[in-house]
Amino acid sequence: MAVKTLERPPAAPEPEASPRPYRSRWIWAWVFTGALFMAGVLLVLIGYLGVGVAGGEIDWHELLTEASWNPVDSVFGGLAMIYGSAVVCLVALALAVPVGWAAAIALSEYLPPRLARPLRMSVELLAAVPSIVYGLIGILVVRPVIASLADVPGGDSLLAAGIVLAVMITPTIVAVSVDALSAVPDRYREAAFSLGLTRREVVRSAVLPLARSGMRAGVLLGLARALGEAIAVFLVVGRADGRLPSSLGGVLDSLVHPGQTLTTKLAGPEPVLAGTSGPYFASICGLGLVLLGLVAAATVWGSRGKTRSESVRRRGGHRQAARMRGELDRVVGSMRLAALLLPGVLLLGMLGILATRGSVAFNPAFWFSSAVGAAGGGVSGQIVGTLLLVVTTGLISLPLGFGAGILLGVHASKRAARVLQTVTVVVGGTPTILLGLAGFVILCTAMGWGRSWLAGAIVLVPVVVPVVALTTAGRVRSMPTETTESALSLGLTRAQYIRSVVVPYTWPATITGLLLGLARAAGETAPLIFTATVFFGAPALPGGIVASPVQSLPTHIFTLSQDSGDPQAVAQAWGSAMVLVLITAVLLCVAVALRNRFEGERWTT
Amino acid sequence: MSRTAESSEQAQDLMSDGARSSRSATGKGRLTSVALAVALLASLATACADADAAAGGGKALQASGSTTVAPVVADAAEALKAQGLNITVATQGGSAGGISQLGAGQIDVALSSKPIGDKDRADNPKADFVSTQIGSDAVGVIISKQVADAGVKNLTAEQVRGLFEGKITNWNQVGGPNLEVFVYDKEPGRGTREVLDKYLYHGEKPPPPPNSDHFAIVGGNLETRNKLESTPGAVGPLSTGFIDGRDKLVAVSLDGIAPTMENVASSKYPMTRPLFLVTNGQPKDTSRKLIDYLVSEKGQELLPKHGYLTLKQIGK
Repeated sequence: MAVKTLERPPAAPEPEASPRPYRSRWIWAWVFTGALFMAGVLLVLIGYLGVGVAGGEIDWHELLTEASWNPVDSVFGGLAMIYGSAVVCLVALALAVPVGWAAAIALSEYLPPRLARPLRMSVELLAAVPSIVYGLIGILVVRPVIASLADVPGGDSLLAAGIVLAVMITPTIVAVSVDALSAVPDRYREAAFSLGLTRREVVRSAVLPLARSGMRAGVLLGLARALGEAIAVFLVVGRADGRLPSSLGGVLDSLVHPGQTLTTKLAGPEPVLAGTSGPYFASICGLGLVLLGLVAAATVWGSRGKTRSESVRRRGGHRQAARMRGELDRVVGSMRLAALLLPGVLLLGMLGILATRGSVAFNPAFWFSSAVGAAGGGVSGQIVGTLLLVVTTGLISLPLGFGAGILLGVHASKRAARVLQTVTVVVGGTPTILLGLAGFVILCTAMGWGRSWLAGAIVLVPVVVPVVALTTAGRVRSMPTETTESALSLGLTRAQYIRSVVVPYTWPATITGLLLGLARAAGETAPLIFTATVFFGAPALPGGIVASPVQSLPTHIFTLSQDSGDPQAVAQAWGSAMVLVLITAVLLCVAVALRNRFEGERWTT
Repeated sequence: MSRTAESSEQAQDLMSDGARSSRSATGKGRLTSVALAVALLASLATACADADAAAGGGKALQASGSTTVAPVVADAAEALKAQGLNITVATQGGSAGGISQLGAGQIDVALSSKPIGDKDRADNPKADFVSTQIGSDAVGVIISKQVADAGVKNLTAEQVRGLFEGKITNWNQVGGPNLEVFVYDKEPGRGTREVLDKYLYHGEKPPPPPNSDHFAIVGGNLETRNKLESTPGAVGPLSTGFIDGRDKLVAVSLDGIAPTMENVASSKYPMTRPLFLVTNGQPKDTSRKLIDYLVSEKGQELLPKHGYLTLKQIGK
């Protein structure tokens, strides 16, 4: 028997002597690029507006307190526009919030899951319908209705704009509120029911206190969207300057008359007429800053995390009589279900109008033939252009958003993460008309690109990147800690951990976010009007990257909608809208399917 | 965009620094990656600028401006496509938008439905605007047929002023039906509006918009026509070419002169206006070809199609 001597294993190699393969330094470059891009967009926007403001004498006091706007006399007062924006948003909220909240409660608390799930999906579909489609409905449906009901000649009014916006933001409010409600754990409901409370009381005392902040966030996100919307309002508001009611009684009266909002002013011709310096341009940029500030405030406030869980304060005082509880429960329940009917009817109505008026879209020839003249032929060029823009935007946005999202989720310290999160959210909520104007001034004017494919795509990138970043970050945060710990205990560097663990884990959520963002970008109109499309002569396939304009569906619909007296143009507009809705719906359905498959965190646009 | 270039150079410097430091100490890794990121973004921007320089060759001719002139030029561009010329037509901001974009060098040809004014030249001191007239057009004061049939066939300058300043609020004040007036004015910078202002105020500064509830702003001609048609009691300035074949709208005669072909050709009708293509310096290459085509016999045939007058008809 030979005795085996134990041999000591060779000493472990010095870490410096043979470094791990693939140190993956590029990872850091990549994630920081994403984060820097986000900060860069904000800086460029504020820089562009700031340079404009600095480039001319600007009387802030006049801008904020004077009602009349008259460049000929160098009177630049923005108060009437601020008033218009405020009134339009208030009308939209007053209509959309009660309906949205009640519908969300009905969806999450009253309906069986089998029914709720498809409905929830339809609501998300509605939330992604491009605003130009709402604008079209505004011109062809809301204007005539207001004209006949409120006795407004023509129907252009603040009220019409408010109604269009209400229809537009209801789905956003419902979707975000449903998320907040379904995040409330079931045990609270069960405990409340076991105390013998009726359903209404359960919702009121156990569910709502926990979901309240999320539901409020939905409202503020909707508000941000309403504040920043340009085109849908532009088509129905009348764009009359200097309309300010002189008395409180005049407020109601002003509702049914033409007005002007901040966004419609910026979407009009004046940014192009104002040159690039001087008091006129400075005042236009001042309006832009005011708008950006308002929207940023609404978005940041809306997407604050729960600062502290609101302790449910016992409100003393009024105690309900015990007699009517059953009846009350039934009444409230049916009211909530009725409120759910409203978005449902809206959805069906919209789809109905789209499908009947836009029936030309069901003819394949319409998809594959090019447009002829002002309102003939098909939309093949527009489809190609829209897809080109969407794909280019997607290719640029994916790495940037992915990187920023990972940094947001993994690496940043608490404070840095909060700052980056805020920046991301603000960029995501930026009114796209401002992106379009900045693109127009910087890309098309200063860099001399002309309206082009790339300029349009670049302007759309900030629309998509935040959505990608936020979905990615949400997914990273939901990673099981074991995964992280075991990866780090194997001695992986942070960069290697991101490369081999985080990226494989999060990419489905990232792709979902990308598709959601692209669905939004596909319907953007205002930025493209300024940077990518022209009235005539854009080739179906652009001949150059930065020299050649493209065609696109949203701007095509916008042009057609200007001539809504012509039945041919109207039919063409509906058909194009139908095609656009189908394209966004496909993007969205793929996104939702992916999400359901991988259970990423829900994000609604 | 010299700034991009600068920042990219800085980034290059940073990067080489970073590369050196990353070999020595990992503590500077953070800085390196930030520098790398800056470099990446900067190089993206410069790459785009390079692509721009490369793509400068096959650029389409860019024309932009008046929605009145745009349909004619679009038709001409369509016809010239066969000859391999690429022309794009945009209508952002109307005539004034086109002129200011031309002055800023963003486009090659401005479409204008008003003559270049001294103010335009003063605003763009470096530009040498050369206008070529391609035809002529009449701006009508357009009202609905319902009002015209009820007795409003003619308006004096005084009455038109009253309408647009919000002093005349009901059509029965000018011999029409008992119906409230709704004014659609063109947004600033539109050629149509300047023609109207010239007729009403003869070069004096027009007053600010009226403080009336029956007043809204419209942009291009299509939108104007559409809103005039859909609003009872509406009045607005619009090129008479745009109401051809629209039986709901009527152009009233002004001071007793109807916007007929003869009256416009002889400039008797007060709101006659020339239609221009404007270039910076003498037109050359593609812009030359476009303008030559539009003043040629074939190109002139496009004007009556849109309700405008040819150069021949106005005796030019």
